[in-house]
Amino acid sequence: MNRTFLLQQVLNGLAIGSVYAIFALGYTLIFSVLRIINFTHGAIFTIGAYATYALTGSQFGINGLLAGATLPFALPFVLALLGGSVVAALSGVIVERLAFRPLRTRGADPLLTLVSSLGVAVALVNITQYLFGAEPYSYPDPLQGWPTAMNFGTAGAPVLVRTVQVVIFGVSMVMLVLLTYLMNATRTGKALRAVAEDMTTSSLLGIDTDRLVLLTFVISGFLGGVTGTLIGLSVGVAGPYFGIAFGLKGLAVIVLGGLGDIPGAVVGGLIIGLAEAFVPAQYIAYREAVPFALLFVVLLVRPQGLLGRAQVQKV
Amino acid sequence: MSVAPAAVPGAPPASGADLLVVDAVTCQFGGVTAVNAVSFAVARGELFGLIGPNGAGKTTLFNLITGLTAPGGGHLRYRGEDITGLPPHRVAERGIARTFQNVRLFGELSALDNVMIARHVRTRSGLVSGVLGLGAARREERETRERATALLALVGLADRPEERARNFAYGDQRRLEIARALALEPELLLLDEPAAGMNAGEKRALSDLIRSVRARLSLTVLLIEHYVPLVMNLCDRIAVLNFGQLIALGPPALVQKHPAVVEAYLGDGA
Amino acid sequence: MASFLATYDFLLVSMVLAAVLALTLYLPLMAGQLSVASPGFYALGGYIAAIMSTKIFPAGPGLYPVSLVLLEMAVAAVVSGALGLAVGVPALRLRGIFLALATIAFVQILGVVALNLQITGGAVGIFGIPQPFANPIEYMWLAVPLLLVSMVFVARLERTRTGRALVALREDELAAAAMGVNPTYHKVLAFTTSAVLAGAVGAVSAHFINTWNSRQGTFDTSVNLMAFVLVGGSRTFVGPVVGGLVLTALPEALRGVAGVDLLPGWLAAFLRDGRLIIFGVLIAIGTVFFPHGLITPGLLRRLGRWRARAR
Repeated sequence: MNRTFLLQQVLNGLAIGSVYAIFALGYTLIFSVLRIINFTHGAIFTIGAYATYALTGSQFGINGLLAGATLPFALPFVLALLGGSVVAALSGVIVERLAFRPLRTRGADPLLTLVSSLGVAVALVNITQYLFGAEPYSYPDPLQGWPTAMNFGTAGAPVLVRTVQVVIFGVSMVMLVLLTYLMNATRTGKALRAVAEDMTTSSLLGIDTDRLVLLTFVISGFLGGVTGTLIGLSVGVAGPYFGIAFGLKGLAVIVLGGLGDIPGAVVGGLIIGLAEAFVPAQYIAYREAVPFALLFVVLLVRPQGLLGRAQVQKV
Repeated sequence: MSVAPAAVPGAPPASGADLLVVDAVTCQFGGVTAVNAVSFAVARGELFGLIGPNGAGKTTLFNLITGLTAPGGGHLRYRGEDITGLPPHRVAERGIARTFQNVRLFGELSALDNVMIARHVRTRSGLVSGVLGLGAARREERETRERATALLALVGLADRPEERARNFAYGDQRRLEIARALALEPELLLLDEPAAGMNAGEKRALSDLIRSVRARLSLTVLLIEHYVPLVMNLCDRIAVLNFGQLIALGPPALVQKHPAVVEAYLGDGA
Repeated sequence: MASFLATYDFLLVSMVLAAVLALTLYLPLMAGQLSVASPGFYALGGYIAAIMSTKIFPAGPGLYPVSLVLLEMAVAAVVSGALGLAVGVPALRLRGIFLALATIAFVQILGVVALNLQITGGAVGIFGIPQPFANPIEYMWLAVPLLLVSMVFVARLERTRTGRALVALREDELAAAAMGVNPTYHKVLAFTTSAVLAGAVGAVSAHFINTWNSRQGTFDTSVNLMAFVLVGGSRTFVGPVVGGLVLTALPEALRGVAGVDLLPGWLAAFLRDGRLIIFGVLIAIGTVFFPHGLITPGLLRRLGRWRARAR
């Protein structure tokens, strides 16, 4: 296996992996604070992608209730991205208020919350499909004028990575740093960790747990929206169900990294990206099974994931 | 229908015939040593008390004996067999039953169902024979129901067999838990604070119940209890734990006056 | 009557099969285990029937013999059971969310494998599966006995030593173990039984739907099943059956409503196509307002007393 090929595969893996990583950051953040798996993250991701699409002034296709609809204005891509992610964050908050808050106040089992999030995710994705149809969309290219790919090799043995993928990798690293900083070095982060530890006691100690839960969903939703748009930018929006597909794959990422562990989300994402990139050519058809096979194995062998700590149960 | 076991297990109580041997058992959780090289033996037929301040490691010791937690060191021997590290259902199979400090009944199920479930290791019908309702399975089912009903009568709860367990008053729940544990036909019964939450009258009734059950069913009883008068009256011997260590062992009269025990309960400079 | 059956033949059989599938989710749930693995075994059973009837048994003139369908069901049941055992023994050491995730992974893996093997027809799947009956409604001859047998099985189970053990595990696994119930053995038993049943349903469904591909037995199916059990009832076998029957009929009933001219176009379209939206919302509402489902043992007790009084 020559060096150029190896390097190319590694970079491909990191590129795919960083997309999974940003998705997983929002996913795992909610688990770290609330100890629930929020499967609606995938639906929020879809909503973000579609909202950004609309905000770029693009038109929706021929299927769906809002066929042919366009917004009366068009924003430049970065603003549309931010706007779409805000819409995603708001959706996350609405889901929290309507679906999760009642379960939390009733002290429901996290399993019940997972089931609820599955239902809500499927409902939201199908509503999106009902409104906008299931055709693929792509964004107007914001990186015009930039080279389409960057070369990490030599002129004779090129190792190319698409510029958009480099951007995504950069964004994932920035997000990781920002989130880690937030959780470890700010007062809000400390409060979030207190809520994660014990919500009732935190609230008794004067911490505004409601506001913090809200904040968690806002950040998570925003990240979800950003990811949705970035994927859309990288490979196109392949219909609302790609949110479900990501939601499912995201489960593998966050379990591998360690549920609730923020750096773990990035580690998990990159590892799965690399694992997918290194699937030998004759088995390429089975690539989609790789994350789930990894998930299954990790659950059996080390359920706390790579960076998580083993849970000791007090009897 | 009597609740006596079909055959009296093992020899009648004899000194030196130890039913349970706890041999230098140690258990650590994270940085805390909950049980620190504790050793003692319980003779067949004894009523053995385990006392100590909160957090002394008494319930942890019960969890170690019944297999809910695995010890970090040491051995547990029951009827001469090494049961260290066996899972809970295997320990139950061998004849050790328990109640829990925070009552762990099957709340949504009826009192009768709770007791019937504990007949599991003494019965044999499997999935197929049960569902098909074959003769042997049907007989076993009837027997299970009768034994469970008799046990409810034994603890004084025969009037409401179909009532959901979580609707019972706290004191009644504790008695129901005892009935459930007895359904296992154990030789060794572990009771974890059975008198908690009971008033004086109930405590006296419980004392009588434990004594009568021990005699009628030829049981050995290991009892954790905070209410010291109950333990002193009831038990043949008492072990005292403090911070995971065994600090005294002997008949109640001696243990009561032991300086380490006095210090543990009353603190220094009493 | 005849025209009713003719119009709704497909629906009625689907309702019955859905009720049986709902029971496959109910079985592990009796032991407190949320497993969404049944769609995987359902898919497997369907592929077995499809392969056996299109590639192994020669296609004669006229109808495909029912006895062969029964044979396929038996083979599907056994193979699913074996796979269920193989997967269940390691997986059922997991608890709660971890088990649910493992079963989600299982279904996804099977889906990818089915999409890529030659024998399963790849993305196209297998089509032209022979019919044992001239009319779709005659599938009731297979579906209804299957439902009745499963219902009787589960109802009886609830009254036996094994059933009690499962329920004890659901209520408090630790206490159940302390009372002598072997947790892993019983969880695997429930899981494997569920797999056997799901495989058998898959085998019938393959003939019923006439084609079989990787779009059968997916994550969406898991969501459907969760809706049936969550809404129908998760504490008594009657719940999933009613949930499966009613929720499968619901989109059809709503379609009937959508035909009423007074409704605005968008609402009519929603009622026609929004099955998954409705199920998803029902699941979300259910977890909050009726986490044990609509049909609870308490309700059944009350209905029993009401009927006794009415006599």
